[in-house]
Amino acid sequence: MSLQDLLPYSVALTIAAPGACAVLLGLYTLLTGRTPMEQTTAGLIRLSVLASFVGAGVIAFASTGRHEVDFGAWIRIGTYEVPVVFIIDKVAISFSLLAAALTGLVARFSTTYLHKERGFLRFFVLLGLFCTGTQLVSYGGALDLMFLGWELIGISSMLFIGFFHERNEPVRSSVRAFSIYRVCDAGFLFAIVVSHELLGSTRLTALEGAAALPVMEATTLALLFLLAAIGKSAQLPFSGWLPRALEGPTPTSALFYGGVSIHLGLFLLLRIWPVMEVAPVAKGIGVAIGLATALYANAVARTCSDAKGALAHATLAQVGLILAEICAGLTTLALVHLVGHAFLRVWQYLRAPNMIHDAHRTGLAASAREEGAPGSLGRALYASGLFRLRLDERIDRAAALFVALGRTLDSADRKLRGLFTAPEVNR
Amino acid sequence: MIQTVLAAATAAAMTLAPTLSTRKRTQVPLVLALTILVVAMAAAPDARTGFALAALTAALHAVGAWRASRAGGVAMLLAAVASAVAAVGAALGRMDIAFVASITAICIRAAVVPLHVGTTELCERAPGEQVRQLASLLTLVLVHVRFVADTPLAREAAQGLFFLGAMASLLPGLASLAQRDLKGLYRMTTMMHGGYLLCAVAAAGRGHHAAALFSALTLLLAVGGFGLVVTSLEERCGSVSLEGRGGRVGAFPHLACAFAVLGAAGVGLPATAGFVADDLLLHAAWEESVVATAALIIASVSLAIATLRGYSRVFLGPPVRSVAPDLLLGERVVIVGIIAVLLLMGVVPRLIIGDVT
Repeated sequence: MSLQDLLPYSVALTIAAPGACAVLLGLYTLLTGRTPMEQTTAGLIRLSVLASFVGAGVIAFASTGRHEVDFGAWIRIGTYEVPVVFIIDKVAISFSLLAAALTGLVARFSTTYLHKERGFLRFFVLLGLFCTGTQLVSYGGALDLMFLGWELIGISSMLFIGFFHERNEPVRSSVRAFSIYRVCDAGFLFAIVVSHELLGSTRLTALEGAAALPVMEATTLALLFLLAAIGKSAQLPFSGWLPRALEGPTPTSALFYGGVSIHLGLFLLLRIWPVMEVAPVAKGIGVAIGLATALYANAVARTCSDAKGALAHATLAQVGLILAEICAGLTTLALVHLVGHAFLRVWQYLRAPNMIHDAHRTGLAASAREEGAPGSLGRALYASGLFRLRLDERIDRAAALFVALGRTLDSADRKLRGLFTAPEVNR
Repeated sequence: MIQTVLAAATAAAMTLAPTLSTRKRTQVPLVLALTILVVAMAAAPDARTGFALAALTAALHAVGAWRASRAGGVAMLLAAVASAVAAVGAALGRMDIAFVASITAICIRAAVVPLHVGTTELCERAPGEQVRQLASLLTLVLVHVRFVADTPLAREAAQGLFFLGAMASLLPGLASLAQRDLKGLYRMTTMMHGGYLLCAVAAAGRGHHAAALFSALTLLLAVGGFGLVVTSLEERCGSVSLEGRGGRVGAFPHLACAFAVLGAAGVGLPATAGFVADDLLLHAAWEESVVATAALIIASVSLAIATLRGYSRVFLGPPVRSVAPDLLLGERVVIVGIIAVLLLMGVVPRLIIGDVT
């Protein structure tokens, strides 16, 4: 048996191990009502993440060039098919190894960090689901499979933000982040449907047929993907959720908003590059959004009074630059930038609790304060940074319109029900 | 064959679920009769028998619902009449009449706007009966797909019905954002899925049978399961408001987990039957109308946000103490069973799709 024969098994192991472990732990707890010991929980999830990393390593060694591993069809109805197909290439391997390595490191770090914390089991179950999600996105050779992983990451991200659920602020932040995710994910969902209808399949290889599409259709498809990407990667105008997302435990802030999740939108654009390539308008918009986010984040980072907030906006600035690189066609540079940036930020986030102590010790705090003084920036720019362009308020106002419409509809429904039912129901 | 058996088994199990999950053993003969009828309906050899059994089933639901909710009972009676008309139409060979009557019965029972009033009353006042009628609705959809979904009228009416279904899901989807109590959220969830089911049944007229079956299955398992969780919670806490934060996750961790999983499955959580249903339905939607596709996606997004908001308002926040127990063994077995089936259908959808296509 050659190494290449191991590819299907390695792909299955890499993707399924952490998720299966997490689901089993969750079902066991739900069914028996007993919570497993910390050592068991952390040990099982760490082992499954290690298995995932080893699987990714085998894939990296065994594959040369681009491979497609086909497990048949998940759904097949006439000509409609959702294939279970995985693509192995340098982009997939880079992101998969990055995600598995960082998840493993964070799992190890968190075993100590969250010792005796309520929600220890919840944390590790979510971490397992997240790991499966990232691997699905990495290797997914069909848009449906990528979306599956994409959603798993979104849900685990939202639950991590609201991890300390006794406090109001984390809960509000998690609802806000999820709402923005969901709105932008609608772009991905729509893009899947459009891809199937215009290109005949949701396989990533079918996206190469985008070159034959009329410009308008290709641009629409690319813009839908771009919407999904900017939501997940917190680009303008959806940047407001990122600093709020740091309400979760520090290790997950590192993993999600420094390492993996924040770069997921960029990875999606690398994956669907054949569509972006033939849509110059979408590329132009992507470059503009990326550069605008970089400038915005830079301005905000200079006015931030908290370490994590500054770090979040520094991350955002780099992610904006990577987005601009991708949309400018510098995809290899963007991939290298992405991987390097992810490792750096995870390290910085994990060290964030010590950062202030270090700054005091080395005297950096004073210089940092001087650097951030208003005199170094224009007054207007400083105010924009300080108030973050009032992005959240603007989004809230837009959302309020939908809620008002919902209230009107609800009121109409109550009146209709009032005609047929007893009066006490009509509150 | 295996698809019919699985659908029948799921429907029968869900008919028994409300009785199994509670210690109050009321209406046991009625529930047993319903279980037998549901299985017989799934195995009906022709349209006439299938719709006649559906009429009988709906009449029994009306009996079960009457004491708790007159409006719910009347709605079930109307559904029974519609099913009886479908049976007569099928017996006379007028499949167009059977199709129209069958669609009417499905709309009433799935709470499709504006025919939703009676069924949504069941959500509020007779939640157990609502789960049971959703179970027999699955087999009614199976009968519809097997016998009347391929008529010429079904093909001609598909686009119009699809558009109506999309609007019927969009309106409650948006209204779900404004709900102030948990029952209201459950009601809107049911109505939104009713619209989805109408779309899927309409799409069955153009050959998308699997979409119809999966939508009915999701309505039964995810929304029915969600209803059981809401009922269990209200038995412990009384009426649950969505104003402020409830902080109940510490007191009821398993209830919270079940609420989150079933609520999320209803809005297309990956690896559940809900995800497959959404995927199949959106594929069918594009062939009918781009506007309808957009409406369905907006409805799903709105309901997902409302469900998370509901979860955060009910379970998260400063903890409260409660002397009431978390899910009891019977409830746990039922809920875990529902989640397991949702996962199974989501991971191996071919179990249900198979030769139905």
